[in-house]
Amino acid sequence: MKLILTIAWRNILRHKSKSLIIGFILFLGALLMTLGNGVISGMDRGVSKNIVNGFLGDIVIISEKQKTDNILLNMMGTSIEPIYNYKQIKQALQSQDYLDRFLPAGKNLALALTSESNQNPGFAFMLGVDFEAYRKMFPNAFTALEGGFLEPGKRGILVPVSARNEFFDYTNIWIIPEHGALVKENLPAETQKDPYSIFIDSAIVLMGMNESNSSTDIRFPVKGIIKYRALNTIFGHFSITDIESYRECLGYFSATGKSLDVPKEEQKLLSMESGDLDALFSEDTLMVSNERTRAQAPANVLQKNTPAPQADIEDGAYNLVFVKLKGRVSEKQALTRLNKALTDAHLGVRAITWKKASGPIGGMASLIKGALFIFVMLLFVVAIIIIINTLTMSALERTPEIGMMRAIGAKKSFISGMFLGETAILSAFFGGAGIVCGIIIVKIIPLLKIRTANDMLQILYGGDVFSPVLNTADILTTLVQLGIVTLCAALYPMLVARNITPLEAIARD
Amino acid sequence: MNIIEIKGLKKDYPLGATVVNALRGIDLAVEEGELMSIVGPSGSGKTTLLNVIGCIDHATEGSVQIGGREITALNDREITGIRLHKIGFIFQTFNLIPVLDVRENVEFPLLLMKKYSGAELHKRADKLIEEVGLKEFTKHRPAELSGGQRQRVAIARALVTNPDIVLADEPTANLDSVTGASILELMKEMNRVEKTTFIFSTHDANVLQYAKRIVKIKDGLTVQ
Ligand SMILES: Nc1ncnc2c1ncn2[C@@H]1O[C@H](COP(=O)(O)OP(=O)(O)OP(=O)(O)O)[C@@H](O)[C@H]1O
Ligand SMILES: [Mg+2]
Repeated sequence: MKLILTIAWRNILRHKSKSLIIGFILFLGALLMTLGNGVISGMDRGVSKNIVNGFLGDIVIISEKQKTDNILLNMMGTSIEPIYNYKQIKQALQSQDYLDRFLPAGKNLALALTSESNQNPGFAFMLGVDFEAYRKMFPNAFTALEGGFLEPGKRGILVPVSARNEFFDYTNIWIIPEHGALVKENLPAETQKDPYSIFIDSAIVLMGMNESNSSTDIRFPVKGIIKYRALNTIFGHFSITDIESYRECLGYFSATGKSLDVPKEEQKLLSMESGDLDALFSEDTLMVSNERTRAQAPANVLQKNTPAPQADIEDGAYNLVFVKLKGRVSEKQALTRLNKALTDAHLGVRAITWKKASGPIGGMASLIKGALFIFVMLLFVVAIIIIINTLTMSALERTPEIGMMRAIGAKKSFISGMFLGETAILSAFFGGAGIVCGIIIVKIIPLLKIRTANDMLQILYGGDVFSPVLNTADILTTLVQLGIVTLCAALYPMLVARNITPLEAIARD
Repeated sequence: MNIIEIKGLKKDYPLGATVVNALRGIDLAVEEGELMSIVGPSGSGKTTLLNVIGCIDHATEGSVQIGGREITALNDREITGIRLHKIGFIFQTFNLIPVLDVRENVEFPLLLMKKYSGAELHKRADKLIEEVGLKEFTKHRPAELSGGQRQRVAIARALVTNPDIVLADEPTANLDSVTGASILELMKEMNRVEKTTFIFSTHDANVLQYAKRIVKIKDGLTVQ
């Protein structure tokens, strides 16, 4: 063993240029593999951390009637089924000791009509919550860029930056908070020079989109413009409203236990034929909305600054319950236990993981993960081919030497061992250096605070800031990968070398 | 006792569509402790014969016994074992492992045998290095030695395992006559001291004086 390593080591020194080529490839391969693993890991951690801590929690409870699990960006789907029995669900949840917190919320798509526009309506995802409870559940999920937050018992909406920009693109109306001023720096670059060319409004009229034909226009005063801490391109679609107004808007039974008092014919006019979004784009619907919005303040738009008075807010309808787990419990275990408890209590709801709930984002993350994996695999193959080539050449060049060793009694295994030893030493030195450099780079990158606003990149970055991460398991994975590369690369040259016969060595003489 | 017994040894090399009959029925017996030379013109089959005896080439036909053991039917593992334990080899060129120094080269077969401790290993190697007159060169790499010195190292290495037979295929072909003579003188001396059987091939009539026995071979057959 010592002999093999001695010979291997000295051969490395003797064939410096070849060793350097192989070493460089191993270094580069290990470096890129480490970085790739770091990015994948960072993405995984970032996306899960941001979604779990900032938006969905670990587990989401949805109605049993809800067909698709993906409730985060179900743009083209149907509306999310309401949950009417939150109080009972709450009781069931309270008895589960592995749950940290939970928060009921309304979440659906709404048409944004605005009071001033003669443009086509825009869309907004609404998240209706008890704002104080929301802040406790997801502290620091966002900051107010302009204005403030929602006040208890008051109607209002918090519009995220990206929703505001989208809305502006659609309607040329720039939303600012109530009693707020125009903050020029926040305007899109092209309008900053001439801010007087745009319309400004501090209210949005939202009409919930819901299959039961019961939605209503509600005028929401804008209380603040918010910026989510990360993944704004995903979360940024969600405007946050108070839960009572949300219910009114969606036409759910509110906490007062009454349906909203909207004239039948108006309801019919406003609501969709079905939940099918295509209906929205039919001529009729658009004309109706145009007419309505041109009327500036439609007669039936609820303009009151407070939602209908409430008996007990928790008696009303919700769509989801966000659940956060205590640190110790595994997601899988918690999900099984929770679902059993919910089924046993016949509550008509089921629990799903945040991954399922966030549908396309999880999908996008796995897509990027897959692409990165293929990239790392390609690297693998290229590195292996180059090393095989170089080592095989080296084996053939050393035929007389190897044949002579065989002639004086070295076994085939000795020759293979020598080659494996050489590759292993190079792999340990250069590959090791590559991994160390990779780790250092992964540690440095987050300090550079590289930011992106791009959707795909944000997922890759695991948030707004590029933050790859490597834990022990990742490093072990990289080590195993490096080991596999080494073995694969050494295998063929080893075979070539061990099959060199003493005769060949003599024939060369 | 005969250390080598060869009967009806034939060796064919396929060469394109034809076959070269390199050895065409050799019968040969070698006694222990002999210092034998195989002579013959170029292409007569000297190298082929030594290769078969040295277990680095197989016979096509016939029987070859080394130390009473038939070697023609052995597998690679067993053959490798015989090469390591029973035979010492001295080649014309490329005898030594370039990355190892003189002492390491001599110790190499002992290390492969895995039966000696470090101290014993050094003792044996140093003894032989001294006998071949390279005491001052133990730490030199082959590249730092002359052709004659390299052959000396090869002799030391061939002898270090105490083999039954040492085979040398034209060991002096690459050396000038004075150096060549000294190498053969050394082999003769080692044969006397270590009682090891030596077989070397040559086509140089001048070196025959060192051999105790001469076997002539021509067109793949021994001639008396
Ligand atoms: N690998 C081979 N393939 C085909 N023919 C071979 C091979 N090795 C040897 N021969 C042929 O076998 C015959 C004997 O060759 P060998 O090398 O044994 O001769 P030799 O006596 O050692 O000659 P020299 O004195 O030139 O070294 C020659 O005709 C040679 O051409
Ligand atoms: Mg020859």
